[in-house]
Amino acid sequence: MALLEVTGLVRRFRGLAAVDDLSFTVDEGQTLAIIGPNGAGKSTTFNLISGLLGTHGGAIRFRGEDITRWPAHRRTRAGVARTFQIVQPLADLDVRDNVMVGVLFGAGASSSLAAARAEAERLCALVGLGDRLVQPVASLTLADRKRLELARALATKPALLLLDEVMEGLTPAEERAAIALLGRVRSAGVTLLLIEHVMSTVRDLSERVVVMDYGKKLAEGTYAEISRDPKVIAAYLGTDDA
Amino acid sequence: MRRDLTLWAAFLALVAVLPWLGVADDRYLLFLSNVMLMFMTLALSWDVVARTGQLSLAHGAFFGLGAYGVAIAFKQWSVPPLVAIAIAALACAIVALAVGVVTLRLRGIYFAIATLAFAQVWQTVMLQVPDLSGGTVGISMPPLFGGDRLASYYLALGIFVLALALSLAIRWSRWHYAVTAVRANETVARIVGLDVVRVKVALFTASATLAGLAGAFYTPFITHIDPFDAFSIDRSVASLVFPIFGGLYTSAGPVIGTIALRSLEEYLRVTPPWKDGYQVAYGLVIVVAVLFMPRGLIGLAQRAVRRSPWRSSK
Repeated sequence: MALLEVTGLVRRFRGLAAVDDLSFTVDEGQTLAIIGPNGAGKSTTFNLISGLLGTHGGAIRFRGEDITRWPAHRRTRAGVARTFQIVQPLADLDVRDNVMVGVLFGAGASSSLAAARAEAERLCALVGLGDRLVQPVASLTLADRKRLELARALATKPALLLLDEVMEGLTPAEERAAIALLGRVRSAGVTLLLIEHVMSTVRDLSERVVVMDYGKKLAEGTYAEISRDPKVIAAYLGTDDA
Repeated sequence: MRRDLTLWAAFLALVAVLPWLGVADDRYLLFLSNVMLMFMTLALSWDVVARTGQLSLAHGAFFGLGAYGVAIAFKQWSVPPLVAIAIAALACAIVALAVGVVTLRLRGIYFAIATLAFAQVWQTVMLQVPDLSGGTVGISMPPLFGGDRLASYYLALGIFVLALALSLAIRWSRWHYAVTAVRANETVARIVGLDVVRVKVALFTASATLAGLAGAFYTPFITHIDPFDAFSIDRSVASLVFPIFGGLYTSAGPVIGTIALRSLEEYLRVTPPWKDGYQVAYGLVIVVAVLFMPRGLIGLAQRAVRRSPWRSSK
């Protein structure tokens, strides 16, 4: 069953279409990766799905319900969570409190502070921040900020998790750990939608891949299929007649 | 949290017995103590909005609306002063809700300008409706509790306790996480499931109600209100300078800031070398504070504690 269904999505910036008639579906339990060159419209697509940007056309359905006009916070409470490519920890809150915000106001919406604190600690341990609970976020390394971003998104109890380049800037060892972690998240029943530049991650994690270029869907298929597709190769490497 | 509550209980106990420690015998000190509690309420209420990352320039105006509301309710409907105070506070809540719904979609400086515009119109409005407001002359009211400033002190204390309770309740509940997230990053706050506008409107309304209560105490306390006093720029400035000087986003900051600056202001005003020039010295203190104490007196104290050789190591 389709958990997320995007049809004919359009978003323009000053007349220029950043996302142009984009359609795809993500089935429950499936992991879909969106790839494409810089400026292809991947992050804009995430902003449209998470509700930070309004659409200029098309529809977004989540669990069969039309959420196209829903404000961002309502989508989160319904079970759509995301991380940001440029990590955005909340200053003035330590690591645990950053995660607590997600527990308190997300789809799980806990009203007990003690229960929320315990849940936040569990999630911090899960992503490998268990020993940095009361550290100010300003002192975290990039890898740790990425972990925090993931923990805060998981804290909202998502059914669908949008991950915007979570591997960017990680060392190969950190990357392997992150892939293992996302595997565990997926087995816990969370459907993943990734934007990813690191091809090994795309290959290891996703069942299907959507390739975007100039706001449009260029190709869709398994990793093996799209990596052989001449259109995709041309978009990434350029062609002689281009 | 427990330690904080113990300290606040001790502070409130001290404030409650203060009149019996000689303050009640000195007419000037008793008057000043009443005013001090009123300004602490105003400062605490302003800080509640600041915690959501919004700079309100409307709190002086809400004070003024409370001050006029109580006088108008008393004059028009001849209700008892305490009922008039409640009506004035309710009126402020309704106005704040309406203003908040319209303006709190704006962020940062745009919200500040909108609140400034709101604050600016009221003096003119009151001058234009003399039948209701008494025009330039204003409205007189009989003194609160027949002029018993000891009784009014306890009313001011009650209103202050309401403001303190709101401030502390926010700090020790889910609201703390909501306001801190909204202040740090509205986009992230939305993405973790917070209805940002609703959070801001709720706290702006609660806060303006308390500012209005402080104003509603003021008129029957000094027995007269006019447009220039009610909407004076001095009080607008005080509502934000006191909490900033004491330390933002805390409950102790606005209270300590009010005590420190109000005391300094009174001292300079009656001390020979300053007298009329007291505002210059007062202004200098504020400039120095803004430049060198970004987190106010509370921040200064926290830094001292951190550096203290007696601090137990964890």
